[in-house]
Amino acid sequence: MKPFIFTRIQYTSGDWDTDQRMPSNILHSLVEYTTIPVDQKEKVVQLSSPDLFRSPFCYMSGHKLVEFSAQERDHFKRYVQNGGFVFVDDCNHDIDALFARSFEQEMARTFGPKALQKIPNNHPLYTCFFKFDEGPPTTSFELNGWGDDLVHDYLKAIMINGRIGVLYSNKDYGCEWDYDFRNKRFLAEDNTKFGVNIITYALTA
Amino acid sequence: MATILTEAEAKALLTKVLSYSKADECEVNILGEERGNLRYARNEVSTSGSLTNQNLQVQSAFGKKVGVATIDEFDDASLEKVVRRAEELARLAPENPEHVGVLSPQQYLKSNGYVDATANITPDIRAEAVAKSLQLARDQKLTAAGFLQDNHGYRAMMNSKGLFAYYPSSNVNFSLTVRTDDGKGSGYVARGYNDFTKLDTVAATRIAIQKAQGSAEARAIEPGKYTVILEPTAAVVLLENIYFNLDARSADEGRSYFSKTGGKSRLGDKIVDERVTIYTDPTNAELPSSPWSGDGRPQEKTMWIEKGVVKNLTYSRYWAQKTGKKAVPNPTNVIMLGGNASLEEMIRTTQRGILVTKLWYIREVDPQTILLTGLTRDGTFYIEDGKIKYPVKNFRFNESPIIMLNNLESLGKPERVVSTETDQNYLVPPMKIREFTFTSLSDAV
Repeated sequence: MKPFIFTRIQYTSGDWDTDQRMPSNILHSLVEYTTIPVDQKEKVVQLSSPDLFRSPFCYMSGHKLVEFSAQERDHFKRYVQNGGFVFVDDCNHDIDALFARSFEQEMARTFGPKALQKIPNNHPLYTCFFKFDEGPPTTSFELNGWGDDLVHDYLKAIMINGRIGVLYSNKDYGCEWDYDFRNKRFLAEDNTKFGVNIITYALTA
Repeated sequence: MATILTEAEAKALLTKVLSYSKADECEVNILGEERGNLRYARNEVSTSGSLTNQNLQVQSAFGKKVGVATIDEFDDASLEKVVRRAEELARLAPENPEHVGVLSPQQYLKSNGYVDATANITPDIRAEAVAKSLQLARDQKLTAAGFLQDNHGYRAMMNSKGLFAYYPSSNVNFSLTVRTDDGKGSGYVARGYNDFTKLDTVAATRIAIQKAQGSAEARAIEPGKYTVILEPTAAVVLLENIYFNLDARSADEGRSYFSKTGGKSRLGDKIVDERVTIYTDPTNAELPSSPWSGDGRPQEKTMWIEKGVVKNLTYSRYWAQKTGKKAVPNPTNVIMLGGNASLEEMIRTTQRGILVTKLWYIREVDPQTILLTGLTRDGTFYIEDGKIKYPVKNFRFNESPIIMLNNLESLGKPERVVSTETDQNYLVPPMKIREFTFTSLSDAV
């Protein structure tokens, strides 16, 4: 089995270089809990580059505008339709910040207005490794004081042939997991476990 | 009779009290103190207070049956009355299975926390110190609210096995909040000393003024994980929660951060960065404290965390006996070693971060990880490319002092600080910390 590579998508609009400690934290959890072999180094691919098609799992996040170029849009669509998995996480904590709004518009443009749908909290994503009986775990950034004070109690996805191709979160797991993995031992409950589920689902479903 | 007894007077009085005792064992504690304060708000003095107090406590024991009575009248009849009362209560009391007898005489270190300059403070002296602070605030059209309080007194104890302990001390605490006229900027300062002559209310007020003026027009930035520079006033309210958790019994019983699975404790474990050393030393000249603890045990120089490793936990005498360990008393002072970085240097070497001058309203979220929550306040500043760029709106944080001390970048020189949560004085350095978690914004100033 080839080692799992944490691949981050670089896109031309907005900012993509967020949560820099998060990938190694998640990779550490994979090593700790699973037998999935991992490559320790995060890989960054440009969305416009054909390198994208070599990674079975990609991560994309940011705070700002998401507006793909024609080639980026084509790559994103083909990647997902050919069986790729993209985990997209809004790095803002509020529910309709620029990233969230523009990303959802971009998905509507790329896959059609109804492609991005809420997934139920009993979706296999929540039980494929660790069990999350109540759906997506909450983060410390919810009830955030920016004025919306909303808990995002579901995730959205674009399904391709019954399997998630794009998993979209506006819970900001990226920030939640953005810490030195050595500090995990001080938490009462490791909060990166859901990250293990996402990657397990991406690799096995 | 004077309120504050000399060592000889205290000894004589306690000897007399013990002479009335008919119990198996008797222990007598006494304290005498004088306190004074001056409070101001909206640039005017609002309260001037003083308090004189003395209190004597007798603990009598018949076997493991213990009774306690207190009194504040010291004529012979009253002294005998309080002893009899303690004995009556002891006879009525059920046995305390955890009662351990009184200690035999102990040797104590020398420490001097009593300063005449503090004991001699009069209302006039307080008024003068506050007037200087008020003047500065009024001159700049700012609004000041502050509190100056001082106390001096002594504690002594004697028991039927011949133990005698005596410790006089004095302290002055000054705290001040300064706000801009429009209420948009706020700055805070707190200072505490044993020696009143070390308190410079003018210098302290200037700091609060500077923070008030600098913190108006705060901008909102997104919550998240930031590098922070914590001034000692901000750091100490988190750190003291480590000190509160040093009890071995709660660790052994699985009730604290210092517990490990299988009924073990973290004694001997490396829990934080190697640069962290935290200890008690009652003889420290800057932070002198009582050389004996409340039950008469001697206070020694004790390492709690040395180079990141847990070296000692506190043991009640009962728990020490039960577990066969040394009965290490609770600390009477806590000192954290620092480093060489100055605050300016910490700012200069920060590419993107936040200067936190005060944290308040600290509450525990998870005792097992000492996860705490609270808010920044009275001046929070955004740092970019080594410079303070602008004031930012306050944040709520979720952070554990243990995780924080694992994310240490640099330490400054320790300073004597007053905890805004407990009024305790500590020696703590300013610190630069990576990945400090701010979870939301606050509208408070």
